[in-house]
Amino acid sequence: MLRARRRTVVTVTAVVAVLLGGALAATLLTEGGGTAGGGTATSGNAVTYQAGHRPLAPEFTATSLTGTTIKLSSYRGKTVVLNFWGSWCPPCRDEAPTLGVLAQQYGSQGVAFLGDDVGDTAANALAFTRSVHVSYPSINDPGYAVVQTFSQVAPVSDTPTTVVIDKTGHVAGMVLGAVSYGEMTTLLHQAAVTS
Amino acid sequence: MTDVQTPQPQQEAVNGGAGEAAGGGAAEPPAASPGWPRWVWRQLTSMRTALILLFLLAVCSIPGSVLPQQGSDPAAVQQYFGSHPGLAPWLNHLGLFNVFAAPWFAAVYLLLFASLVGCVVPRTFRLVGSARTPPPRAPRNLDRLPHSSSYRSALPPAAAVDGAAAVLAGQRFRLRRPGQRGSDQQDRGHWVSAEKGYLREVGNLLFHLSLLGVLLSIAAGGLFGYKADKLLVEGQSFADTTSALDEFHPGRLVSGSDLAPFSMTLNKFTAGYVTSGESRGQPSDFDADVSYAASPGAAARSYHIRINDPLSVDSVKVYLIGHGYAPEFKVTGPNGSVAYQAATPFIPANTGTLLSDGVVKAPDASLGFEGVFVPTGISVDGTLQSIFPAADNPAVSLIGYSGNLGMDSGQSQSVYQLDTTAMSKVSGSPHLLLPGQTWTLPGGKGSITFVGVKQWVSLAVTYDPGQLPALVCGILALAGLLLSFFVRRRRVFVRAVPAVSGTGSLVTVGGLTRSDASGGFEEEFAELAAEIAAAEPGSGPGTPGQAGQAGQPEPGGSPPPGSRTEPGA
Amino acid sequence: MSVNLGFAQASNDFLIAALLIYSVAVLAFAGDYAFGRPRRAAAKAAAPAAAPAVAELATVGAGAPAVSSVAEPATAGPDPDDTAGPASGGPWEVGRQGPVPERRAGAFRSIWAAGPWVRAAVGLSALGMLAHLVAVVTRGLAVHRAPWGNMYEFITALTCVAAIFFGYIVVRHRAWTLGVFVMGAVVLALGLAETIIYTPAGPLVPALQSYWLSIHVTAMTLATGIFFVAAVLGILYLVAERYRARIAAGKAQPGNGLLERIPSAAQLDKLTYRTAVFGFPVWTFGVIAGAIWADQAWGRYWGWDPVETWAFITWVIYAAYLHARATAGWRGARAHYIQLLGFASLITNMLVVQVFITGMHSYAGVH
Repeated sequence: MLRARRRTVVTVTAVVAVLLGGALAATLLTEGGGTAGGGTATSGNAVTYQAGHRPLAPEFTATSLTGTTIKLSSYRGKTVVLNFWGSWCPPCRDEAPTLGVLAQQYGSQGVAFLGDDVGDTAANALAFTRSVHVSYPSINDPGYAVVQTFSQVAPVSDTPTTVVIDKTGHVAGMVLGAVSYGEMTTLLHQAAVTS
Repeated sequence: MTDVQTPQPQQEAVNGGAGEAAGGGAAEPPAASPGWPRWVWRQLTSMRTALILLFLLAVCSIPGSVLPQQGSDPAAVQQYFGSHPGLAPWLNHLGLFNVFAAPWFAAVYLLLFASLVGCVVPRTFRLVGSARTPPPRAPRNLDRLPHSSSYRSALPPAAAVDGAAAVLAGQRFRLRRPGQRGSDQQDRGHWVSAEKGYLREVGNLLFHLSLLGVLLSIAAGGLFGYKADKLLVEGQSFADTTSALDEFHPGRLVSGSDLAPFSMTLNKFTAGYVTSGESRGQPSDFDADVSYAASPGAAARSYHIRINDPLSVDSVKVYLIGHGYAPEFKVTGPNGSVAYQAATPFIPANTGTLLSDGVVKAPDASLGFEGVFVPTGISVDGTLQSIFPAADNPAVSLIGYSGNLGMDSGQSQSVYQLDTTAMSKVSGSPHLLLPGQTWTLPGGKGSITFVGVKQWVSLAVTYDPGQLPALVCGILALAGLLLSFFVRRRRVFVRAVPAVSGTGSLVTVGGLTRSDASGGFEEEFAELAAEIAAAEPGSGPGTPGQAGQAGQPEPGGSPPPGSRTEPGA
Repeated sequence: MSVNLGFAQASNDFLIAALLIYSVAVLAFAGDYAFGRPRRAAAKAAAPAAAPAVAELATVGAGAPAVSSVAEPATAGPDPDDTAGPASGGPWEVGRQGPVPERRAGAFRSIWAAGPWVRAAVGLSALGMLAHLVAVVTRGLAVHRAPWGNMYEFITALTCVAAIFFGYIVVRHRAWTLGVFVMGAVVLALGLAETIIYTPAGPLVPALQSYWLSIHVTAMTLATGIFFVAAVLGILYLVAERYRARIAAGKAQPGNGLLERIPSAAQLDKLTYRTAVFGFPVWTFGVIAGAIWADQAWGRYWGWDPVETWAFITWVIYAAYLHARATAGWRGARAHYIQLLGFASLITNMLVVQVFITGMHSYAGVH
């Protein structure tokens, strides 16, 4: 009888495992997680990395909208605000004035602003930078190549995304979605803390 | 299914084979006190429950095929809401627009699998047990078996049985001879029992367990895999990142950094169409010429993605799903500077002729355009129509708007729709453009030039780690099915008694099988009996009237049909 | 490659020829009912040749009195509870007791001996099958691919499979008395194909240009043809069973009429089961092959597309039939209703879902 009892235990366990495991998987699988990936995130979502735990930003060399060469390593020693944007993207257009103000304010304090224009033609991007008077250069990145390189280190999952890199070339924080003035100033101050 | 716990020594409670089992176990709860768990158990694992659940599964799948489903066609679901405003919300509450992800559907198949497991696990134990126990003793009177025959042998009984055993062993039967177990003491006769066909139950269990494997593989794929879409115009490239993809549906345990780091450029897309005959206009071939790099900095390779021919990169597959036209426009603002220049994807409204709709947004010149593009255009009563899907005579008809496109407020918009609430038309009627032509807008607002035509493709990028396991389990299920249908579990017994006269013996061979899906045991038994008889010298058919046993062969004749149950003939 | 019009025309001609020949064959089968030799006389003539151990469907009538009806229910299906041995009286299948069976008489000799009507009917059916096969093959040659790329071609091919499978049953189980019904159904289906569903020979849309067409649709064609035969046999079973029940209840007399000519309910039950058992793995394989092809073409192996869903529903219903046959209270007529429901689901999939419900499977070509 003991053997029969063991068999019963095994059977009942198997059945319960199927029921519970299946219910768990079924609830996990009905995803809330499906997103329109290339879509735009309208509100900001800030992420900060504490000093000493900051990932190293990947080196890249790219061409700007006007044809000049841009290397990330050439910005070492300065804090960099790297903004991923597109002229087709309403939140990017919405945050552009904020970024312009920040560029004016912090540009003289050793903060460099750099744009990465994704999913765009150069003509459309230049039309936008001209009409909004963007003063800093932007990388011409229609194929999201720089985004891919960067995503190995920090998830650039939406457009717009703004990344703050500290003076030593490490990622100090990022904002997913359109930035607000307050978020950026906080990030910039935190980035300045390097110990 | 009878009680799991106490199989009686002589009883195997359940038959093997996919086509048979014990009768539905609708037993009442036993009188002993913890009655209801056992009763629930019996109900759950009974064949009748399996039957009901199978029906439920079939019936519950029907609305998933008749109503539009969120997972495959969200636009159709929206349309349904529009056309059935009263009914649609109720159907939505019941989950009928996403049947296969609904909890009640999951409940049905989970219960079915629970019932399956509750059946299969005890049967596996039983199979292992029966594989270890030797076949039963040969019954005394083999003539009562469904299949039996006898013959006279010149050999003494022991030798005759040995010969029969050798034949059976040669056919890979499992044998049992007297004296192997203690209970045989009383039976002094000469006999051998043989059994074969355990693969049938093995096949049955394999089939059912493989179904469970398929379910697990599907779940694994859903949790760890992802699906994504990307629309790509000729000349464009993209890297496999979440921001580049138009749609991204990750499994729950997938994050953006799990994406394979490839990048791809669409060099050229070619679509061929049938140009004459009854199928004129039907597509004949699609070819997307792409270059790709498996990781940043890797060497570029090229591939032609076709409809039944996806590209495999790194265990991710890229499929060609659809295509369309992307006319290229250049828009200049009032001061003449270029405000927009790009090939703009238009969406086909008619899949046969590829007449397509799209919009051009030039927010930096405060201009927007709604357009209809035709690849081979003719004008019918003033409206533009397309008569052939290839771009033989492209034309575009535009309605221009000027004003605020609403793109600076931060609210997301569809790239295929123009929000004209804060805009006004620049002219009353649509303006037709052929390639190379420019429309200078009235009022000095700017101009738009129809530069040329490119094509776009829509690609699906999918990663499904459960795909290969699901296939393997499917094939195993099929193998198990075939085994369970076409292998028979059968038993053959041979008994020899000394002959009434002379030195030989009378050998009787009997056989029985469980129900035989494919038929053919009769032939097999006949051949076996003949082979046993033929394996020794001096054997021949028994004479009629011997011990009055039914079923004796009659030389030269056979009993007339229909008299099978009458003894003696 | 363009369509070879010569072969296309030949295909149409041969199909019409097959249709006509089949129709005459059906008339001959009916003629056998009306004017042919009574069954018992035929059985006596064939007796020396036919050993009783072989399932002789032609020799036992549906309403055969007590003798067979006593034996029949025991053979009607799988028995519950396997026991260790026959001590409890044979819970394993009660088959036929008898001597070592002698060599079976040739099938063709039995057919010849069954009378001129049967000879004509079987001969014409064979001729029709040949014409049918030529029609299918020439269609394939005309379009340079496997000839089941749209609804018309699919129906012509599956009826060819059904006819050939029926031929196999006639030879193996001497079941020519079922000819009227099975071949009659084939004639009806072909008539439908020719008139309403006809599509001229043409190239395939790119999505169908794959060697998987040969594998997936071939399997579905075969399975549908086999299930077609099983469905016809199932209907005949229900008729025979009702007749048997009425005789057993004394409400009808066994005569020599139409219902006497067809095999007994129990034999039909077994034959239907074996046919369905043959078709089920083929259908399973077809679904798996379809999933592999869907993955190649559409990027996912299962998407609950309407046709996929109904193929799944059909599979589940046939699985229910197989389970029903092993469940007490569900054998017999109830199981056959399930099997017919499965076939109805198959037909719904083919004629309704593929044509009227848009999905990725809309290749029927029916306008």
